[in-house]
Amino acid sequence: MNELSTLQQGERILMLGNEAIARGAIEAGVQVVAAYPGTPSSEIVEELLKNAPQAGFYAEWSINEKVSFELAAGAALTGARALTAMKGAGLNVVMDLFLTLPYTGTRGGLVIVVADDPDAHYSSNEQDSRLLAQAANLPCLEPESQQEAKDMVKEAFTLSERLELPVIVRSVTRLSHSSGVVRTGPVERPERELGFNKHWELPFRWNVYGPPGAVEKHAWQLSRMPLVREASRQSAFNAVRRGSRPLGVMAVGMGAAYAREALRDMGLDEQVWLCKVGMAYPLPEAHVLEVLRGCERVLVLEEGEAVVETQARLLAQMHALPVGIIGRCSGPNNGRWVELGVEPAAEPAVQTYGELNARTVRKAIACLTGAETPANPERQRIKEQIQPLVIQRSSTLCAGCPHLGTYWALREALKAAASPAGKKAIPVINGDIGCYEQAGYGVKGQEPAPSPAARKRYHSKSPYDLLDTLYVMGSGISMAQGQARSGAADLQIVAVAGDSTFFHTCMPGLLNAVWNKTRVTFCVMDNAWTAMTGHQVCPATGLTPRGEVAEVVHIEDIARSMGVKSVEVANPYRVEETTAAIRRALECSEAAVVVARAECILQVVRREGKKPTRTRITEACEGCKICIQLGCPAITFLDGKAGIDELLCVDCGICMQICPEGAIVMEDGA
Amino acid sequence: MNANLNAGVNADLKPPAEAVTNVIIAGVGGQGSILTSHLLAEAALHDGLEVKLAETFGAATRGGSVLAHVRIGPVWSPVTVEDEADAVVALEPLEGLRIACKYLKPGGWAVLNTHPWYPVDVSVGRARYPSMQEIVSALEQLEARVLTIDATGLALQAGDARASNCVILGGLFALGVVQISEQSILQAMEHRWAGRERLLAVNRLAFETGKQEIAAQVGGGERVGPLSAETPC
Repeated sequence: MNELSTLQQGERILMLGNEAIARGAIEAGVQVVAAYPGTPSSEIVEELLKNAPQAGFYAEWSINEKVSFELAAGAALTGARALTAMKGAGLNVVMDLFLTLPYTGTRGGLVIVVADDPDAHYSSNEQDSRLLAQAANLPCLEPESQQEAKDMVKEAFTLSERLELPVIVRSVTRLSHSSGVVRTGPVERPERELGFNKHWELPFRWNVYGPPGAVEKHAWQLSRMPLVREASRQSAFNAVRRGSRPLGVMAVGMGAAYAREALRDMGLDEQVWLCKVGMAYPLPEAHVLEVLRGCERVLVLEEGEAVVETQARLLAQMHALPVGIIGRCSGPNNGRWVELGVEPAAEPAVQTYGELNARTVRKAIACLTGAETPANPERQRIKEQIQPLVIQRSSTLCAGCPHLGTYWALREALKAAASPAGKKAIPVINGDIGCYEQAGYGVKGQEPAPSPAARKRYHSKSPYDLLDTLYVMGSGISMAQGQARSGAADLQIVAVAGDSTFFHTCMPGLLNAVWNKTRVTFCVMDNAWTAMTGHQVCPATGLTPRGEVAEVVHIEDIARSMGVKSVEVANPYRVEETTAAIRRALECSEAAVVVARAECILQVVRREGKKPTRTRITEACEGCKICIQLGCPAITFLDGKAGIDELLCVDCGICMQICPEGAIVMEDGA
Repeated sequence: MNANLNAGVNADLKPPAEAVTNVIIAGVGGQGSILTSHLLAEAALHDGLEVKLAETFGAATRGGSVLAHVRIGPVWSPVTVEDEADAVVALEPLEGLRIACKYLKPGGWAVLNTHPWYPVDVSVGRARYPSMQEIVSALEQLEARVLTIDATGLALQAGDARASNCVILGGLFALGVVQISEQSILQAMEHRWAGRERLLAVNRLAFETGKQEIAAQVGGGERVGPLSAETPC
């Protein structure tokens, strides 16, 4: 594709949802962009970074979402148009200012794009950011197509400036990571007066404590709500289509895309009302009331929690409308519609977890209209019969990944470790977010550990069931300290994190361990990139986000400056060296850090090209499967012998070091 | 009420679903499934068709199941409804089975590369990789029209194993399921590999090889292509 900023007005281009969002920002003449990568949002700022020099705006990857949001807010206070984008979980990291900034509002347009991940394709939860938009009382737009994503982002800047409030655009995985045709609009380059005015329109405008004080500033924000509701009412992204029957569908975001298609395919376009909601908070009351008044029953289709559904119920109650609103809070039970809160046995009309899809939407609409959903039990039976053949494909680290070496070394070191009480220790490995989190995914075909007794032996047969706790960015190193301080004496406590995660949220946790003299072994796997989200740069890379050469920030230097006494750097491709380093760290009585450093193998291969594989398995292989326990996807096991997949193997040499028979060799290179 | 009230919803009522073609490209991360879907979509767009694409992949950069939905025609949802795909083409046989079993319509086409990429679940001895024969007959029970092709081998012959996705793309084209011109596909490939003559040549050759192989299988009256003799595991 041509670069987004060079596209002319009126071109028809196939765009990823995230590219459409980026184009919307370019069309709006965005001036400052900052974000931390997070799937499914990363491509937004990747695209904007590519286009920044040409289009003449500033863009960066920041250290974490908190920094990027605060930076964008700072820019907006000077009158600049600013955008930040993040995954749903990223919004949690910005909560402090997110709930406070609305009290003062902003001057330049500030757009916060949040890409939620219903079905948790790439995330540790399914959170619905619209609930947080409600908590902050900020308007929230939700697109149903790539075209609308572009248009809404552009409109969000105008809206933000008119309301003097940040505006949220909520995407979901299925929008951000799907592509559709977008017709481009003109690129605006409005003349804006940039500068800092301490008392802009109101006294001490940008100081929430400044006179008249935080409560008065909260009251100011609430005084804007009628304007916000009016903006929702006037938004062209809402619409109502009447139907011949007193039945309606109220659809939001991707829910609208599925609803339109299902209504057409079910031949219900003329019969069922459709209320397309483009602003999820606050609701466009006039549109919603029109449907609630015209229908006896309305089905709400939205991704995530019952955000629009509960607002619609409130509206119906305020206007004393007798309409039945169904969705996640109510469902059919023996031919009657019942509230789940009243009869918990009823099934909700729309499943309360996971994401919407065409099938569940059709089923819910059939439920609304009382139609039969066609079923083919025979086909279903055959499918069930076939299922045992459809074996799982568990996610793995890449062939030759340096984390494979680190995890092998960690397992070896832990086998020998003794607890602080001098007994055989039970290891607890606290994971974190990054490629290395796959050490917590498990091999799906494998049974989970059956009993606490079995857990006491360190019996892990692959690196994929190593992590004992795994939650969110930065949580590993801090949770580890709670375990260490719990009084449990037979534990050997480890935390792992990657380089980008270390900078993102691990530094306070590590400093906390040093200061409180808490014993914890922290293994930082430094592969020089934010690899999992698509190899963005980070302070360990040696480049700025704009490609300028930068000083590499060494994690061992940070650890030492924090006061960590035991700091070692090891090469994970040298298994013994890394094992020894981790073993020494485990013996420390205070916080100890091992930096396992080797560049992400994908980046190395991309740069240097894949060479013909020289790794071979000789006749000496006895089929002991030790090498299989390394978890490298390039090692296969067929007919009782290990094998090397030459399409995958990159000759990293780790498996050679662990084969007890010396059966893995590397042939001389040409 | 404001003036645009009904316009917003009614303006884009689309023609019936019969005009829609659903294709899914399945594979393992790193095989080029998503790239293939983009080539197909760019070609469709060039031919003036409407198109939606959705990609799903696991959290990992490589090695997980990947599928790309390509929906050509008047649609809003980027994802194909279960049992409604016209064709499932797979860069890896197990992924072909997984996706065709879920999405392929009765009578739809399944084109499977015969080269397996074993999951770690098999290597650690917790699962058995099905044989090609089992995969084909399972899909035939679901009334799929199954064709198999050694796309990886043909791609290697064309000059690069990574071109197996273009072999499969050629195979899909030969089926005639998607109403896209060959010229537009080749143009999309030229656009993709602009300035990289060798890769472009390899991929064009791969496309041509796949097209001829599948055309021969379909044209020869054979419903099922030749099975590879070996049964993995």
